[in-house]
Amino acid sequence: MNLEQIAESAPLSENVDSVVRFTNVDYSHPNGVPALRGISVEFKKGELVGILGANGAGKSTLVRHINGILKPTHGSVEVFGESTKNTSAAKLSRRVGIVFQNPNNQLFAQSVKSEIEFGLRNFGFDDELVRQRTDWALNTFSLIEYSNRAPMELSGGEKKRLCNALVLAWDPDIVILDEPTVGQDSEQKERLAQLVKLLLSEQKTIILVSHDMEFLWPLQPRMILMSGGKILADGTAQQVVRDRVSFSHANILAPQLVELFTELGDLGRFPADEFEARDKIRLQMTAAKEK
Amino acid sequence: MLASAIFVVSLVSHIEVLIVLITFTIALTFAAKIVKRFGKSMTFFAPLALIAFLLNYYVFPVGLLTATNLALRLFAVIASSSLFFLTTTPDELEQVMRWFHLPPDLVMIFVIAVRFVPVLFLDALQIMDAQKSRGLEFEKGNLMKRLRNTIPLLVPLIAVAVNRSLELAEAMDSRAYGATKRPTSLYVLKYNFSDYFTTIAGIVMSSFGIYFALFGRLW
Repeated sequence: MNLEQIAESAPLSENVDSVVRFTNVDYSHPNGVPALRGISVEFKKGELVGILGANGAGKSTLVRHINGILKPTHGSVEVFGESTKNTSAAKLSRRVGIVFQNPNNQLFAQSVKSEIEFGLRNFGFDDELVRQRTDWALNTFSLIEYSNRAPMELSGGEKKRLCNALVLAWDPDIVILDEPTVGQDSEQKERLAQLVKLLLSEQKTIILVSHDMEFLWPLQPRMILMSGGKILADGTAQQVVRDRVSFSHANILAPQLVELFTELGDLGRFPADEFEARDKIRLQMTAAKEK
Repeated sequence: MLASAIFVVSLVSHIEVLIVLITFTIALTFAAKIVKRFGKSMTFFAPLALIAFLLNYYVFPVGLLTATNLALRLFAVIASSSLFFLTTTPDELEQVMRWFHLPPDLVMIFVIAVRFVPVLFLDALQIMDAQKSRGLEFEKGNLMKRLRNTIPLLVPLIAVAVNRSLELAEAMDSRAYGATKRPTSLYVLKYNFSDYFTTIAGIVMSSFGIYFALFGRLW
């Protein structure tokens, strides 16, 4: 199968509670280099989506269409039923929060507190609400002790946490995390996974752009594999990891647990984490003993 | 060519000379086969000359001739600068500066500054995207508000640039920058026909410039 065929055979999700809909979206950079080709995809309310792909696959370009920073060259992007063409990024961002990869590209205020307040004031929250939401964000992300420190003085992990806090402070319905695990230690990754679960329980749509398969796999998101500006595969994590052709095209390594259980022979569903794997192996061993 | 253009422009206020200078610059862009890119860069910068003309003509009572003259001077400098930067790579510039025996550190500072302009530009775009995503509208509000809106852009841009320069310094140190006092270059620039031509043309232009400045006319 060549790239085109793989892209065409990728299943389209059904139209239930769709919050974002891409219809035949093409996008070319101002210098004429195409970045997205014929993207049609939908994201639902309360859904966890992992967008995977090698560098330059078009992942970041795709998500920048959702809050209208980029507008499609052809086709349309609808967010909550409205086309992004005539809406500004600033307006759309009220409901679509993107946490960018590099914290240094956004922190500028004199204190952590005013950094969080900045977005809230831009969206016209009243003073009382600004105070409440800022306190909530400072507490939720354990930043309260830094609230008067300068954001630039924080460590890398703290800056990243602040970036999550300042976006989630205005409570967007769609949360997009662009490469959230880059440069993060295992403790930060664990915190991040907890955060994702918390947001999911609040029925938010979460889109994780990453090539960190080991981070995404335990969360068992719907996975979208991208390569060369196209969607190669779209389905549940279990479905997508079985699609070895798309995987190698997207230059992504399968999670180690999947590799291990593939070697062990087909045991049905791949375990999401080490505990599930342990149970599965124990079950096999008892079965073998009984034989 | 850039040097002689600036030289001539600073000395001469005769419209004829300026027109000859500009024509010659444009002719050189044809010779260098960069007409398209030159045109692009000029459509971006040339309005500056127009603004200078309008300002001088309408705001300050200097008269049509002087206003045209000043605008043409500016245009000549912009055109020759564009020509220079479109035909000369930072590497070549570095070698020329070495050839003049400028201090190596100074040369390096200049080369890095030139090379990082596009990188800084990309940074600025990314920062704008990030701040727009936080509800900032750069194009909205009165002048004061717009000025204040640049703070969320400028502060991270400067911070990123400073950080990068520190990292770059470390990276250069770890690659033994400065280990040799007078580094030699792997490539050596050679004068060829077009170099001789532009050099002689530049000298001729500059001589005319001096002559005009001294006597005010050709004969």
